[in-house]
Amino acid sequence: MACVTDLVPLLVVAMLALPVGGAIVCTISVRWTDRVSIATAVLTAAAAITVALVVAVDAPHVSRGSWYLVDGAAAVFLAVVALVGLASALLSPAYLRHAGRSWFRASRARAWYYAALQLFWAALLAVPVAENLAIAWLLVEATTATSALLVGFSGKPSALEAGWKYVVLTTLGLAVALLGIVVLYIALGAAPSGLARLDWEQIARGATGVGGDAVIVSFVLICVGLAAKIGWAPVHNWLPDAHSEAPPPVSALLSAALLPSVLLVAWRLRDALEPTLGAGAVRAVLLAFGLCSLAVAVPFLWRPLAWKRLLAYSSLEHMGVLALGVAVGGSLATAGVLLHVAGHAVAKALGFYAAIPLLRQDPEAAERPASGVALKSRPTAIAMGVSLTVLGGLPPGPLFASELMILLALIDAGLLPVAVVAALLLALGFLGLAHALLEALLGTPRSRRARPMHSARAVGLATAAASVLLLAMAAVAFELPDTALVREAAGGLR
Amino acid sequence: MSGPLVAVLVALGLGVVVVRRRSVAIALISAQSLLLGAGALSLAGERSADYVVAGIVLVAKAGVVPALLVFTLHRTRERRLVAAAAPALARLLACAVIALMVSATMPSLGLDSEAAERGAFALVAIGIFVVVIRRPVLFQAIGLLVAENGIYLLALSAPGGMPFVVDLGVLFDLILVVTVALGFSHRIHGEFGTGDTEYLRGLRD
Repeated sequence: MACVTDLVPLLVVAMLALPVGGAIVCTISVRWTDRVSIATAVLTAAAAITVALVVAVDAPHVSRGSWYLVDGAAAVFLAVVALVGLASALLSPAYLRHAGRSWFRASRARAWYYAALQLFWAALLAVPVAENLAIAWLLVEATTATSALLVGFSGKPSALEAGWKYVVLTTLGLAVALLGIVVLYIALGAAPSGLARLDWEQIARGATGVGGDAVIVSFVLICVGLAAKIGWAPVHNWLPDAHSEAPPPVSALLSAALLPSVLLVAWRLRDALEPTLGAGAVRAVLLAFGLCSLAVAVPFLWRPLAWKRLLAYSSLEHMGVLALGVAVGGSLATAGVLLHVAGHAVAKALGFYAAIPLLRQDPEAAERPASGVALKSRPTAIAMGVSLTVLGGLPPGPLFASELMILLALIDAGLLPVAVVAALLLALGFLGLAHALLEALLGTPRSRRARPMHSARAVGLATAAASVLLLAMAAVAFELPDTALVREAAGGLR
Repeated sequence: MSGPLVAVLVALGLGVVVVRRRSVAIALISAQSLLLGAGALSLAGERSADYVVAGIVLVAKAGVVPALLVFTLHRTRERRLVAAAAPALARLLACAVIALMVSATMPSLGLDSEAAERGAFALVAIGIFVVVIRRPVLFQAIGLLVAENGIYLLALSAPGGMPFVVDLGVLFDLILVVTVALGFSHRIHGEFGTGDTEYLRGLRD
């Protein structure tokens, strides 16, 4: 074990360098892009998951380098990003086989797709381990350029619209966050100068003796800016469009990896500034985003929406739940948040992967609600069923346990009204999703023509793997609050 | 940064709110970036690294980014001017009021130059206003640059400035995002025959 622990610094570098190298090779060697991408993805995921496992097993000890920090929370987020990235890379050939028109020239489209995917993934893997607020911001901003190209990949007018909204709104949001970072840097004037002033621990230490106003303003500005990227309402407008127009493997990365990774930055900021600002102020901001996101998302879950748009609004709902968990803190809520991030990622990614055969079978499902899928493709129907029942929070799914933990933590923190409102909204959301699922699986199909598809078989395998992971999470769910990993993550920055 | 210089920077930002032609807006943002870059050089400390970083930022913001904007302008010729969402005077008044309110309500950060502090917040507000109110995609991209210039003004005014890594990292990200945004601008123009964002309203629930 000690031998593997010593390798962590090397593995951290490898997990970031491999996808960058893979991206370069993909643009040079157009002929072997599928194989290069898959080989790179397997190696990258192996390195990242090894780092995550070493830290998880070694908890409460954290792994720290001069520029990275892998603690309990980072380990969970890293594993999630690695798994979703691997699955997206493995399923991308199935999407690209029938992708049709593209923004790029046909002969280069596949190469650019993989290059952008690998660079996007590399930036995503780096965000959870960034030890510094400014570096985390730079990495989050770097995800925008690469992922925007992927959102607009099809080159369709709707994809260009979604991509444009995504670039403009998230860049504007991140500009506000950067303003907050500069304000915070100035406010922490007495702390060491240079980049180190914005290390998470330095922020926590330096902010303690600083006057409140500038720190509060910086916290609000950074939170509002990050909210635009996390997709918290009311600054979520890009989210449904980008998720629905991106290629399904990219939608999975956006929803299951990008949103939670940025949320971790907000979580670390809360940990760093709560001692200075007090729990009340910090909680108020995050609770407002959480409840607002739930309240905005739930009515859309009742509407007859295209499958991927439905999943996008479900992402908005789940980011709201996570905001509530991060706001309240403590072992129970932290366990809930970590479990929710992992369970949501697996179920949501599976839902988006199911869209590959779904849209091949029924192209109209890109714009209209899916209908009668069970009659046409059983593997696709099972994937959609597993995804939506878990996302709805049905027991024994892990999201049932995680939502219960977060609600109990809210009650325990004396926030009973918030817990009641959240529980009601979650119940309504569940009913909306259940209705949508029944219509999608058992409704009248638009055409009865069914065709066997390679992508449906691939999604069938993904469903089996996802089911095993989800059951494993459900099995250990209620043991989590007492684990060293969760206690370390709940302890904040030390 | 001196008060008059900050006033000119803010006036150039307000100019982007008012002008009709994209070429004029590009000239205004280029001038604003050039002035900021020159200001950064004048503030650079005794270390040569300060000059190098300020020089790189100057070349990139006042040279590379405007060149990208001009390149896109030539590749996305509009047959006629895109109709404005509101009259120029109304835009100017609304933006000025919002910018004043934002800069007045922000707490003092205790910097040497209070004008730079207030001006920075005002420029960020103006940039956001441009993105929200101007319809052509190129104007929205320029709005992002106005907001970024506001942040750079505040960063320059911080005692000792911001760390080089942050300055150069932000610059790299800025060029990357502007390149992608201008790529979208070109594609949108090719698909819709115009860069008017009014046509980007197909995705609704």
